[in-house]
Amino acid sequence: MNDRNRELKPFVEAPDDDMIICRCEEITKGEIRRAVHDGMFTLTEIRRYLRTGMGLCQGQTCTKLVKSIVARELGVKPNALGSATGRAPMRPIEMQILAKDKGE
Amino acid sequence: MKHYDMIIVGAGPAGLSAAIEAAKRGMKVVVYDENAKPGGQLFKQIHKFFGSREHYAKIRGFQIGEKLLAEASELGVEVVLDAIVIGIFPEKEVTVKIGEHVTHAKGDTILIATGASENMVTFPGWTLPGVIGAGAAQTMMNLHGVLPGHRVLMLGTGNVGLVVSFQLMQAGCEVVALADAAPRVGGYGVHASKVARCGVPFYLSHTIVSAEGEDHVTGVTIGQVDANWQIIEGSEKHFDVDTICLAVGLSPMSKLCDMAGCDMEDNPAKAGFVPVVDEYGETSVSGIYAAGDVSGIEEASSAMIEGRIAGIAAAVKLGYLSEAEGTAEIEKQKAALGGLRQGMFAPGMRGKQITETEEGIAISQNLLQYGFVSDEEVERFPGVTHSSGIHPVMECTQNIPCNPCQDACKNHCIKIGSHITSLPSVDPEAKCTGCGMCVAACSGQAIFLVREDCGDGTAEITLPYEFLPLPQKGEKGTALSRKGEAVCEAEVVGVRTAKVFDHTNLLTMKVPKEYAMKARFFRKGEPV
Ligand SMILES: Cc1cc2nc3c(=O)[nH]c(=O)nc-3n(C[C@H](O)[C@H](O)[C@H](O)COP(=O)(O)OP(=O)(O)OC[C@H]3O[C@@H](n4cnc5c(N)ncnc54)[C@H](O)[C@@H]3O)c2cc1C
Ligand code: SF4
Ligand code: SF4
Repeated sequence: MNDRNRELKPFVEAPDDDMIICRCEEITKGEIRRAVHDGMFTLTEIRRYLRTGMGLCQGQTCTKLVKSIVARELGVKPNALGSATGRAPMRPIEMQILAKDKGE
Repeated sequence: MKHYDMIIVGAGPAGLSAAIEAAKRGMKVVVYDENAKPGGQLFKQIHKFFGSREHYAKIRGFQIGEKLLAEASELGVEVVLDAIVIGIFPEKEVTVKIGEHVTHAKGDTILIATGASENMVTFPGWTLPGVIGAGAAQTMMNLHGVLPGHRVLMLGTGNVGLVVSFQLMQAGCEVVALADAAPRVGGYGVHASKVARCGVPFYLSHTIVSAEGEDHVTGVTIGQVDANWQIIEGSEKHFDVDTICLAVGLSPMSKLCDMAGCDMEDNPAKAGFVPVVDEYGETSVSGIYAAGDVSGIEEASSAMIEGRIAGIAAAVKLGYLSEAEGTAEIEKQKAALGGLRQGMFAPGMRGKQITETEEGIAISQNLLQYGFVSDEEVERFPGVTHSSGIHPVMECTQNIPCNPCQDACKNHCIKIGSHITSLPSVDPEAKCTGCGMCVAACSGQAIFLVREDCGDGTAEITLPYEFLPLPQKGEKGTALSRKGEAVCEAEVVGVRTAKVFDHTNLLTMKVPKEYAMKARFFRKGEPV
């Protein structure tokens, strides 16, 4: 995926581009497709660029959907994409709770 | 910081089973689960499970959960609920959010048994309120006592779609149709048949075109797909519904494994992104194990065995059990696991088209396309025989890992043999007393007792009935066919309820004798 010289077909608008894919962050299919053409080839990059999967459900709903859209845009199989880096906290958590963490 | 021999994330069947085995060997074990109730998926499963006696077959899912929990508690396992494991760090340290606090714990071993999450599909309107996962519908109904809607379309004919459709009807919803983009029903035929005979149509090779509604779902359009998954013009069908349930598969929730630095693989045979594990469930990080759906989507029965294996392996690793003893016990578990992973629905069979049973009998194509075995097809299976007195008719036509019917009959009328996936057959020589134990024990609700000729031009059919209100003796209604179509008038001549039947009621109806092999369900209300 890190082959930045990858030739993509030109971006063509599609009728379902305004369909929301990541509900928590309200990111549409068109935005995800556009991001690939902007050079975001990995799921981690897409996530940093658009915030997909960074909302309340932490990607439980959209991860697979985003993956298949990106894969299709790149012309690869979804399982060739790997996953976005997983980091703590696994679930959304209030800052005040984290602030109280004394490592005990 | 607390310190344990084993930290288990997830109190589902895999996690609890591992805890039991580890604690039995004297290990200090803690289980964290994010829910208020332990049991994982089991706590919303109100249906009787498949498998064999050792795997708790014919016991309802939530009761299996209760049994595991009781056993774990007795052994001194600490089960902490409302506890989300939010991070996993080097040296086997986890952070857990419990209430308003984050606590840290270290384990000499860790088992990740976090299960799976539901997949979604997109279509115009998929974000409307009223489009929900089938698992979510089940949680609403069975845990919280809330009806998800009134008229429901189910997308997906795997076991989850089939089981939840039936449970929606039990809760009082109307299921208008089941649709699936695949050309064949994905789940067990017996689960499909019990839904079909209630009159629910199956639309295979169909998917959702769009959901309609302004601020919530008011309708849905489905359409037939061609070989390239494109909707065939003119094939659209519309239904007025307020709920669309999606049962389109599960994905392993393996993020914690990834975070722990375990080698991962994207494996379609395991339904997603999973840790690479060895035969003991150990990941590439020594002392970190994974078991259950998180390491490949399967069943509760296999999750329990995988959990047990991981628990025993951890005990060996920490020296609580000798290697020889551990190996012997693990071999036993592996043999059981091998037995479960056989038959038409085994993990290795995913995506393969099967045309014959292990016995060499042609599979019912009608079952795969419409959810029920046709009148002609049903006669070729070994569970379907004819005799003058009352006798069992077993409409179980696929090789699935299940055998409680064989144990249920004390008169040896029913035979499966030692190979758990063999089709059940009826021994015409053995004498059936009509006790009904087999009907109630069958997890697939696939056994009927039939007296084909009562001598007065009528026949009597006894069927499993799990709906409320229960029909009363003397009540007249309509007999439905396997397809769920009205075939004739029927009179209820008996309703049996007993503790041993475990909430499966036995309803006996009288119909004209020509319908003895056609009538398979009773519909309450004015006969038609
Ligand atoms: C509708 C339906 C019907 C089914 N019918 C059958 C059947 O008839 N027979 C059969 O054998 N199987 C059946 N299954 C499958 C079975 O329920 C699952 O395979 C099984 O529950 C998997 O067990 P598990 O322990 O791996 O995961 P789960 O049961 O999913 O348990 C995992 C637990 O971990 C918790 N968890 C996850 N992440 C965290 C975290 N970070 N911190 C704390 N807790 C966490 C989860 O909330 C959950 O409670 C059915 C499943 C469904 C959905
Ligand atoms: S009704 Fe009783 S005797 Fe007859 S087959 Fe079933 S379990 Fe056996
Ligand atoms: S007939 Fe026997 S094997 Fe078939 S579903 Fe029923 S109990 Fe299981």
